[in-house]
Amino acid sequence: MEIEELRKQFLKLNFDTAEFRVDGDDIVGFSVACGETASRYTDASDPDFQAPPTFPARFHGRRMLPSDLPLEGKIPLDAGKAVMPQKAIRAGTKLVGKSYLNEIYEKTGRSGRMIFLVSRMELFDEAEDLACIVDSRMVVRERPAE
Amino acid sequence: MILDLHSHSIVSDDGRAKVPNYCQWIRKKDLPLDGFVLTEHRKFDFDSDYSALATEFDLTILKASEVETEYGHVLVFGVTRALTEAFDFSDIGLPLAKVLEESERHGAVAVPCHPGRTRVGMCAHVESLGIPAGVSIVEVFNGGSRGTEDDAARALAETQGYRGIGGSDAHIVSHIGRCATAFPGAIGTEAELVEALQAGEFEAKSWKSKSSESSS
Repeated sequence: MEIEELRKQFLKLNFDTAEFRVDGDDIVGFSVACGETASRYTDASDPDFQAPPTFPARFHGRRMLPSDLPLEGKIPLDAGKAVMPQKAIRAGTKLVGKSYLNEIYEKTGRSGRMIFLVSRMELFDEAEDLACIVDSRMVVRERPAE
Repeated sequence: MILDLHSHSIVSDDGRAKVPNYCQWIRKKDLPLDGFVLTEHRKFDFDSDYSALATEFDLTILKASEVETEYGHVLVFGVTRALTEAFDFSDIGLPLAKVLEESERHGAVAVPCHPGRTRVGMCAHVESLGIPAGVSIVEVFNGGSRGTEDDAARALAETQGYRGIGGSDAHIVSHIGRCATAFPGAIGTEAELVEALQAGEFEAKSWKSKSSESSS
C-alpha cells in the first residue's frame, strides 16, 4: 500500500453519516460499567445529568473505513480510541456522526511495517454544534516478506 | 547530571504519558534523574514549551526526535528547523547515512537506539547491509529491551568502539528513568546536550533490574 496515494485518495473525505439517540439508561449503564461514581453520570435525576466524556466512543456508524479502501485482504486491528469532548451531551439528544479518515501514516516496529488509519467521527447535536470528536485508530500489519 | 535520553509523550502517536505526569512521577518516586529528553516519533515537537514545568519541578526537559532508517530507529539530538527541512522526519525508510550526515552538518548528533531489537535495531541489519560508517554512539541500555537485546547492543558497541547512552524509551509514566545517561557537567539546553555527547564523556545507566548496571 502506497501511503501517499492513500492519503491523496482518502483523507478528509466523508465516508459515512449516521444518527444516534442518546438514551438516559444507556448513559447510566455505561457510567456504572466504567466505575463512575459522580451522580451527574450515574443518576438521571441529577440536575447536571450528562454522558461521561468517553461515552461517545460507543457510537459506530455503518462503516469504520471507506468501502473502497484497498486493504488487500488485510483486516485492520483496533489500535485505540481518543475522545475529545466539546460540550455536554444530555439524555434525549439526537447526534449526527460524520466520519472521515483524518490520518494515514506508517511506522516500523518489532513486527515490521505497520500502517495506521485514523478514522474520525465528528458528532453534532441538534443545534449543529460540534459535541464531540472520536478518533478510532486502526492498524494494518504488513507481513515481513512484503 | 543524569538524563533519561529517550522518552515519549502524548505528542507521539503511541505515547500515553503527559509530560507533567513524568515530572510528578520522578519527584514522587524520588528517581535519581535530573531531567529527561522527549524523543517524539518521526517528528520534532516545535510547539510545546516545557520551561515552566522544568522550573516548577527543577528538572531539565529537552526535546529531540526518533526517526526510522533502513538500520532501524535513530535518536536525533539537537534538532533545528533547518534539520527538519533537510530530510522528511516522517519517512520510515530514511537512509541512515543521510540522517548521520545531515545531523552532523546541522550540529546535531544521531544515535541508533535499541540496536539489539528485532527489525528496528541496527544489529538486525548489519549482516545484510554491513557496518554503517559514521556511527559513534549507540543506545546500549533501553528500558523497553527484552531478553538479551541490551546484551547485543553492548556487544555491538564494544566490537565497534561506540560510546553508549541509556534511555527508558518510556511511553507510559511509570517507565521513565528505567535507563538513563550520566554526564559529568550540568546540561540545560539541547545545544549543551549535543556538546556533551560530542565530548564523549558520559555513562549509560540501567535500573531495570534491582542491581544497577552501568556501561561507559
